[in-house]
Amino acid sequence: MAILNEEPVNVCTATLSRRQFVKTGGALVVGIAFVGPSLLKAQGFQAPKVTGAPFKNSLDPTQLSSWIEIHPDNTVLIRTGKSDFGQGSTFTAYRQIVADELSVSFESITTVVAGHTDQTPDGSGAFDFLGRGTPNIRKAAAYTYQALLDLASRRLNVPKDQLTAKDGVFSGGGKTISYGDLVKDQQLKLTIPVSGDLTGIMGLTVEGDPPMKPVSAYTIIGKSHPNSVITSKVTAKETWATDIRLPGMLHGRMVHPKTLGSTLVSVGQLDKSKSPNSQVVVKGNLVGVVAPTEWEAIQASQQVASATKWTEWKGLPGNEKLYDSLRKESDWNTAQVTKSDANKGDVPAALASAHKKLSATYHFPFMKHAPIGPTLAVADVNPEGTVHIHTHNQNPQALRGEIATMLGTTPDRIIVHTHPGAGHYGRSNGGNSGAEDDAVILSQAVGKPVRVQWMRAEDLQWSTQSPAAFADVEFALDEKGRVTGYQIDHYMPAFQDDRPIGAILAGLPTMPAPGGGGSGFTSSTANFWSDPWSYDLIPNVAERGHGTFQVGQKASPLAVGLRDHSMRTPGQYQQNYPRELAFSEAAALAGADAIQFRIDHAKEERLINVLKQVRDASGWDTRPSPRPHAVSTGSTPVRGRGVSAMFRSETYWACVCEIAVTPSTGAIAVERYTIAVDPGIVVNPAQLKRQVEGGAMMGISHALYEEAMFDESGITSRDWNTYPIAKMTDTPEIKVVLIHNPKVGAYGGGSEAANALAAPAVAAALQDATGKVLRRLPLKRAYVQALLKT
Amino acid sequence: MVKIIVNGVQREVQAPGDTPLLYVLRNDLQLSGPQFGCGLAQCGACSVLIDGKEIRSCVTPISTITANQEITTLEGLPARWAKQKGLSAAEAEDTLHPVQQAWIEEQTPLCGFCQSGMMIVATELLESNPNPTTAQIKGAFTTSGPSPHLCRCGSYTAIIDAVKHAAVIMAKGGK
Repeated sequence: MAILNEEPVNVCTATLSRRQFVKTGGALVVGIAFVGPSLLKAQGFQAPKVTGAPFKNSLDPTQLSSWIEIHPDNTVLIRTGKSDFGQGSTFTAYRQIVADELSVSFESITTVVAGHTDQTPDGSGAFDFLGRGTPNIRKAAAYTYQALLDLASRRLNVPKDQLTAKDGVFSGGGKTISYGDLVKDQQLKLTIPVSGDLTGIMGLTVEGDPPMKPVSAYTIIGKSHPNSVITSKVTAKETWATDIRLPGMLHGRMVHPKTLGSTLVSVGQLDKSKSPNSQVVVKGNLVGVVAPTEWEAIQASQQVASATKWTEWKGLPGNEKLYDSLRKESDWNTAQVTKSDANKGDVPAALASAHKKLSATYHFPFMKHAPIGPTLAVADVNPEGTVHIHTHNQNPQALRGEIATMLGTTPDRIIVHTHPGAGHYGRSNGGNSGAEDDAVILSQAVGKPVRVQWMRAEDLQWSTQSPAAFADVEFALDEKGRVTGYQIDHYMPAFQDDRPIGAILAGLPTMPAPGGGGSGFTSSTANFWSDPWSYDLIPNVAERGHGTFQVGQKASPLAVGLRDHSMRTPGQYQQNYPRELAFSEAAALAGADAIQFRIDHAKEERLINVLKQVRDASGWDTRPSPRPHAVSTGSTPVRGRGVSAMFRSETYWACVCEIAVTPSTGAIAVERYTIAVDPGIVVNPAQLKRQVEGGAMMGISHALYEEAMFDESGITSRDWNTYPIAKMTDTPEIKVVLIHNPKVGAYGGGSEAANALAAPAVAAALQDATGKVLRRLPLKRAYVQALLKT
Repeated sequence: MVKIIVNGVQREVQAPGDTPLLYVLRNDLQLSGPQFGCGLAQCGACSVLIDGKEIRSCVTPISTITANQEITTLEGLPARWAKQKGLSAAEAEDTLHPVQQAWIEEQTPLCGFCQSGMMIVATELLESNPNPTTAQIKGAFTTSGPSPHLCRCGSYTAIIDAVKHAAVIMAKGGK
């Protein structure tokens, strides 16, 4: 094996080097070169001075580990830090995007590596997979193609501009060569520039501007390739996080405090006659039980819990006083008031001269992410200090940083393996899903691998929630029914608390609570602007965001309270719901049709188009709301329809909900649901359709049922009866209109937004049917019934 | 020592009689189909068939299962179908249950955590009603068992599509 000191070649700011000849095999490996000093900002960890040398147990550019590998047999391997949570993108869209950039077939990408922090490059969370058109993997593929083109040109002695590529073969000047032959018997390394913070929420970003395939050259993007992981799940071949069993592993269960502010008085005595092999672990206010079998651990933890004493605490407002408390008792001066970039004109003057005005307040409840499987993790803390964690987590690199902080060590000692599991909808995108820190603490205490599984009640009562919010809206209308002024003030507590709860209870170090001095947007109490403005023709606009501490955070002796976390369509959900419902109300006030009213105030063609498409597809009859002869009494169902629209992740959305409401009971059924989606380029129509249907259904669940119930001490929703979600009988006839819009030149996201569209549309439909508006979520029977009695 | 028949094979397990079947299936027999969702018979992620009828394994003590009862999990669906169709052992090897085939062809799962239980209900439904209407499908997944079968990702439309597709495959005798 000879080392060849060949000069590296510059490929569009990436560097291609030939490191050595090898006797067999060979590969083109795409590695990492870090730019900037901010590779690792995790607390207590000093980033290495030498760029390009990341820390132990991460991908190292000097090793055979990377983003993309081209193999001699013309197969391709890709690696991504984004793990699958049901979006399917890593197994479908990512392969399609790479295949088109590389000019290889979809099938030639035989391996997708994801979910292991020591085997994937870029970190960040399982969200925004399509990266607003340019995910990391696309740029990595574009660099790779340029390197291959360079190699082919030199090997064939044909100028690059005379070479074309198809299915992994270059042709030109009467010659051909496959990618596999280009890399055969040599070890080629392409080093690409990246920047960022590996253990931060956004991870690393591929830098530079390699040439990328024009949309007109796509042959694989746009086709409905199936998702390979669906087959392994359906045939029971998948290894789920729930399946991980390590040698010598013990089963753990937690004994959580009585309230969100309780501290430990005394630990209950373990009944050894019933649980002979169990052991109780106590660290600060953290109490756990481990046992060799899962059933013994469950029974022992219940027995210990019944005998454990905690202090009492009542520091929460409870559901009924929530919005009063938020408005009157919260400090809304903890962070700067945010303003959207749509703000313009003079809204007070418009309101003063208005022909008609709408002034209203809208209320948005705490909602649970409510994964269908509670959080679990297996941790193995080795005596020499290396920690392996097996879990199901949307941001495993961020978890490394959090566990390192908790243990007072460095992220290089933490290795996280993420396996398939129940969808989290954002709850773990900041690095912890709930059980990981518990498992680490218990494993360290007993010196063996420990599997901690939270029970259903714990997963509802001790996890984070999507924050509650309220908004004050003012509309000014002129004599012609046009909007002359729009003002909205959004109030929402800090939306993302990534402190691991086990670490807090154990009194171990964590990142600061939101508003506690940490850096980064998730450490702030500010209410950031998340809902891009859509109605450009309104002359006077004022949109403001007000933030505060989490509810109970300051009062709880544990500094816990109602911890919040971003949830699918985070922030934008809380901002778009009042905006869109208020728009439907303003249309009614103006005597205008709700869709035409939106179109009349919009300039963006893509927004106007989704509104027209959803109007046509739903068979919407153009008229003002409420409907003629609207009825708010009686036991006969009355029908109505409503609309909503949103722009998110480069995608335009609009939906129409048609409902039947029974006034005497307050029961609402969504009978038909029509949704139009323009993401620009549709990468995979079949997969996008399933994502949209699922998002739509979750949105109906939110709209009709979901509200985290709590009293003065903690969350009282503890199971699926006390936190109901939609059932199959709630499924309407769903019609999805996918708008393939190649002239946009990029692809937007499709896994969010849909879940946020139903709520304002269903509420508008209720007004259409009955003439009465419910300005709070959910539209559950008791609230609707009470409204219609007034 | 408890003797149970799982997916056509008699198994002996060392577990106290009050142990819920789910933990025996997952921990003692290393089956990954049934999942722990609630432990309260409220979601259906843990569903298995006992003699063709859906039960919630998370609340079923193994002591209540008799030695001659047949437990079928997701893993056992292909063999169940092969037996019903009288396929040879070789044919059965590369056979999927039509429900599984339909779930793949319709690309039904999102996160997929609830889908083992969903496929169990679909199998139970189609064995008694080979051509269900949409309303019958909704009923089977909502009101027929101990609780509705819950999917947090909202795959209900995809499940309805897949059950109808499975009915077509079964009517053709497979494939």
